[in-house]
Amino acid sequence: MESYLVAVAVVTAIYMLMTFGLNLQYGFTGLINFGLVGFFAIGAYTSALLVMAGWPLLPGFAAAALLAALAAWPVALLSLRLRIEYFAIVMLGFSETVRLVITNERALTGGVQGIPGIPSVAQALGVEGIDGNLLTLILLVVAVILVLAVNWRLVHSPFGRMIQAIRDDEEAVRSLGKHPGRFKVTVFMVGSAFTGLAGAFYAHYVTFVTPEQFVPLLTFYVWVAMIFGGAGRVGGAAIGTVVLIGFLEGSRFLRDALPGVSEVEMASLRLGVVGVALMLLMRFRPDGILGAPSAGTKKEG
Amino acid sequence: MDTAYYLNLAFNGLVEGSIYALGALAITLVFGIARFPNASTGDLMTVGAFGGLAGTLAGGGLLGAAIAGVGVSAAVALAFHFLLFRNLARRSAVASMIASIGLAFFLRSALSFIFGHDQRVYDLPLTRAVLFGPIRVQPTDLQVMGAAAAALAVVFAVLHLTPIGRRMRAVADNPDLARASGINAGRVMAVMWLMAGGLAGLGGVLLGAKTVVTSEMGWDLLLPAFAATILGTIGNPIGAVLGGLLIGLVQELSTPFVGFTYKIGMGFAVLLLMLMIRPQGLFARNALVR
Repeated sequence: MESYLVAVAVVTAIYMLMTFGLNLQYGFTGLINFGLVGFFAIGAYTSALLVMAGWPLLPGFAAAALLAALAAWPVALLSLRLRIEYFAIVMLGFSETVRLVITNERALTGGVQGIPGIPSVAQALGVEGIDGNLLTLILLVVAVILVLAVNWRLVHSPFGRMIQAIRDDEEAVRSLGKHPGRFKVTVFMVGSAFTGLAGAFYAHYVTFVTPEQFVPLLTFYVWVAMIFGGAGRVGGAAIGTVVLIGFLEGSRFLRDALPGVSEVEMASLRLGVVGVALMLLMRFRPDGILGAPSAGTKKEG
Repeated sequence: MDTAYYLNLAFNGLVEGSIYALGALAITLVFGIARFPNASTGDLMTVGAFGGLAGTLAGGGLLGAAIAGVGVSAAVALAFHFLLFRNLARRSAVASMIASIGLAFFLRSALSFIFGHDQRVYDLPLTRAVLFGPIRVQPTDLQVMGAAAAALAVVFAVLHLTPIGRRMRAVADNPDLARASGINAGRVMAVMWLMAGGLAGLGGVLLGAKTVVTSEMGWDLLLPAFAATILGTIGNPIGAVLGGLLIGLVQELSTPFVGFTYKIGMGFAVLLLMLMIRPQGLFARNALVR
């Protein structure tokens, strides 16, 4: 039971890193990242490959976050030139392209077979005598606290007021003589670094990566978590993640209780529940379950 | 690698491109009139493909498949207009777009839950390929292109020859002015969703007739269809068709160079290139889009 709770906590923390990243990008700045899973995959493969090539763990993690941020840089520059709807489509295409590349570049990524035998956090650090997953969790909690602190500092600063102003009325920001571009690019890179770090933790936690772990559904798990908690609320992102994991784990118990439902059918059901959640949230609670019910006329983004 | 090889690739590209064109036309209608990129278009195509499957099982052949597929997906699109998108119309495009992704997941999940993940094929008579000069042509390919061309003709006739089509174009050009002139936007929306759903459904049936039907088939159509829409300028129906054919050509003709597996990526590459060089699309009349 204890090890199960640790495992659930690890997964929650990994999702939380991504939800904080997305919340910074969309919730605070209005940047629509539909390609989140692409940065997650970049982080996962980067750290897995580097650590297996002999790098120590922490530089591997740093490289994962850095590479995800660097991958976000050209995409962010594109966002400055595109209407938000176009940018959303481009991001979707970006994450699918990352998946195409890791599926096809067999020499580097193992293709569809993926990379097995990634050292766990404990193995990579050479630590013994402590439960490996517990060690992962401890490091993750440190990472979440760091990310939370960065998030909090960014949001409660002149920088934070600027990005929220960009979200609310970009034209007004421009008319004050400020250039939103630099702020948008920075936020996009920082959020993607969080996501890349989450990917690195994920790779060393499950010790196995394949392209099919990085499907668009994962992006929208994180979207549901963020919207559910309330976009633009740091605390909301945390609560939304907990609810999301509650659902994902709960559906596992539900399947055990319903012997007639196969794992494949359960996967379909999960997809359907995420779909229905997105539709119902947008229809009835676009400001999140914690926010005030929307009057239905508010212009957002 | 001779001329005949490339000619065959080009022909295949045009056949696939006419399927993308139907998806792109569905996207461009929704974008032009309801003003958001409908990410559920791909999975609406899957709904049409399964509807078509029911049509062939009932013994209707390809025609029965087309009628059943178009009917089912048009009905689904209209239902979700009333249940969902109509209520989101006053909010930003982002809200509708996120909801349309939810709808896409919901449709795919419902289909895969009911029908599983197996590949299915339409029960159509086997036919022999015919050689037109160096080009090898399957009769199915001709039927696919013929059906796509007929659908495009119907759409253009509706848009340009009927009163409701004129109103649709008015709403697409300037929604405020259209409303001020007394145009019933609700009616326009309903007809538009019927048309968009029907077009997507036909695209799904044609792809099902050409290849196989799976519950995941729609997703891979979404990016090429979006690319075609943007390539041909969003909201421009002729542009959507030409964009679809162009994306089909590029994808097929690129396979000797980048391999079969990167084909879908080529659609995305074309999209990116287009957005960087000429974000308003190839067929923009003026600065309608930034």
